[in-house]
Amino acid sequence: MSLEKEQKVVELVKASFEDAEAEVQRERRVKVRVKPNRVFPLVAYLKGHGFNHFVAISAVDWIKDGEIELVYHLWSYSEKVHVMIKTRIPRDNGSMPTLKPLFNQAETYERDIHEFFGVYFEGNEKLDREFILEDWDGPPPMRKDFDTRLFSAEFYDQEDLESEALRLKIQPYKGHLRK
Amino acid sequence: MAKEKAPKGIKGWAQGRSLWMLHFCTGCGAIEMPPTMTSRYDMERFGITPMATPRQADLLLITGYLTVKTLKRVVRSYEQMPDPKYVIGFGSCTVNGGMYWDSYNTIKRLDLYIPVDLYIAGCMPRPEAIIDSFTELIKGIKEGRFDGWIRYRENIEFYKRNQAMVMDIRKWSLDTELAERIWNEVQEERKKRFERATVPHVYELAERIPEGLPK
Amino acid sequence: MNAIGIQIGWIIFMPILVIIMGLLYLGAARKITARVHNRYGPPIYQNIIDVIKLFSKKRATNHGVMFSLGPIMAFSGLLISLMFIPIGNKALLSFNGDIIVLLYLLVIAPLGMALGVGEGANPMGTIGIARALTLMLGYEVVLVISALSVMLYTGSASFMKIIEAQSGGVGHWFLWPLFLSALAMDMALQGVLGEKPFDQPIAPHEIASGPMVEFGGKYLGLLQLYHAVAIVVETGIMVNLFLGGGTLFWWFVKSFTVFFIALLINAVMPRFRIGQAFKFFWTYPAAISLLGLILVAILK
Repeated sequence: MSLEKEQKVVELVKASFEDAEAEVQRERRVKVRVKPNRVFPLVAYLKGHGFNHFVAISAVDWIKDGEIELVYHLWSYSEKVHVMIKTRIPRDNGSMPTLKPLFNQAETYERDIHEFFGVYFEGNEKLDREFILEDWDGPPPMRKDFDTRLFSAEFYDQEDLESEALRLKIQPYKGHLRK
Repeated sequence: MAKEKAPKGIKGWAQGRSLWMLHFCTGCGAIEMPPTMTSRYDMERFGITPMATPRQADLLLITGYLTVKTLKRVVRSYEQMPDPKYVIGFGSCTVNGGMYWDSYNTIKRLDLYIPVDLYIAGCMPRPEAIIDSFTELIKGIKEGRFDGWIRYRENIEFYKRNQAMVMDIRKWSLDTELAERIWNEVQEERKKRFERATVPHVYELAERIPEGLPK
Repeated sequence: MNAIGIQIGWIIFMPILVIIMGLLYLGAARKITARVHNRYGPPIYQNIIDVIKLFSKKRATNHGVMFSLGPIMAFSGLLISLMFIPIGNKALLSFNGDIIVLLYLLVIAPLGMALGVGEGANPMGTIGIARALTLMLGYEVVLVISALSVMLYTGSASFMKIIEAQSGGVGHWFLWPLFLSALAMDMALQGVLGEKPFDQPIAPHEIASGPMVEFGGKYLGLLQLYHAVAIVVETGIMVNLFLGGGTLFWWFVKSFTVFFIALLINAVMPRFRIGQAFKFFWTYPAAISLLGLILVAILK
């Protein structure tokens, strides 16, 4: 299987961005690793070269490195190549410039990542509005050091309440089990 | 004031034979409803029809896991329904959390938050189980055994306190004064739990397997 | 003296009969739809149980005075219209022009609903009422033109006169000479009854049962009775104008037949958008009814 068109995309990136580490991952997949401040110009550059479908932003918490990795997915309908732009920002007080001027839909993904990973996106005005988590004042729940099991046990187990419910006789009806 | 009782006699019979259902499809349980409604199992032969709004419904069917965000809508729908009203918790998720037992935003036992009349266990329960629970409910209503809404009104403090423990109840509760008071009361306890619950901790791989299971 | 006694008895007996028959119609509708869908279906008296249940509910949400007056206005408007429509060749009030009065009274009910729903302030209800009034604008034209051709044919605007003119067996029904008008009115009736494809005002999957969205308990029970009576009155217009009235038994048989045809269409059809429904009424049924009217005017 020849990887000509993928190689072409790698050369396209390398022509303008010398510091980017671009490689072909497999058929129709190209991986690019850049510094955080080069993401915006790179996405703008690729948009100008036919990558006009902004698929998503995803995030990975690399807790031992103290970094959060953001992955920007782009797709080109003409080339049929999927480009992943990976960048790492510090875990504490990390921030990224927003991609909203290029793709409007980036706003939603940025709000999502802001709520679940605590990454700040500069220039996104709707970031402070609550999006998925309602009335949530805890730490961002998708970070690796958030103990979801402990949180669940504290708030939703409520064994003391179950005995209280027994005392008040407000258990659900169980008569049909005895037959 | 005399203690309110569940309807019996002709009223109970009519109530049992004409259950209008609001199915609150939160999770995967929703997929079991179409076969129950359509020609294979046909629940309309018992007089049970789906209704579009809580104002018209008698039966609240909760099919699946409940996040805190959804629970807010469920309690709100429940409070809007006219008495007498009945609740069926459907699937393991409403019984004990099911496969979402360690999720940070999913409640485990539904009957701590609203009174549940019947649970259907299983993941997923088959339409036969749903039909079985409906017939049990119809029989029980005829005899006046189910009185969830009376329990809710008598123990409103208990239920509201549990609700306030996991979510902000002030904006939407029917009795705003009570909600405000209970919300203020539980703040201290909430803060304490929050401090205990948000201790940073990173799991090692071996630790992720629950105790008692082979490692 | 005896005649007055019968009259008073009929005044009391007739609404009860119509309500029970209407509820049985609705129950039969559910059963027949279920059989078409290859289901067993509820018992035929299911809607009577529903009404008993709704009236035995202890609490129902109320949003204000107009909210409770709305269903009452709709229901009473319909009960008044019962006085003008002959059921089993007996009309309480009969005079030249009662068809026009009846068509006018039929408009009161949706208006009463509109007032009640407005107090509820639910956007779904408002959308439903807007759709109901739009749909009414559509079918009312066809309904009036079809009725007009019958009035032109007999030279009278009284139900009793029209029924008399049709007496003497099946061959004398106006269905045959005024076939086009009858066809147009049956099309309009599908909209009047609110059966698919014209059930936009109460589309449960789109706008959560529309005008009824805020009504529960006793109010909904009243609306169920309203719906039951409305079906008998609306099919009754068709029976009296084109199918020659008849004795009490035959009158209900004919009325149910008209309803049955609408029901079979309902069981297999999807729903139009409101714009499509409006466009439909003002094209084919309107054209057919106008053609019928012109034919009557020429041939008469």
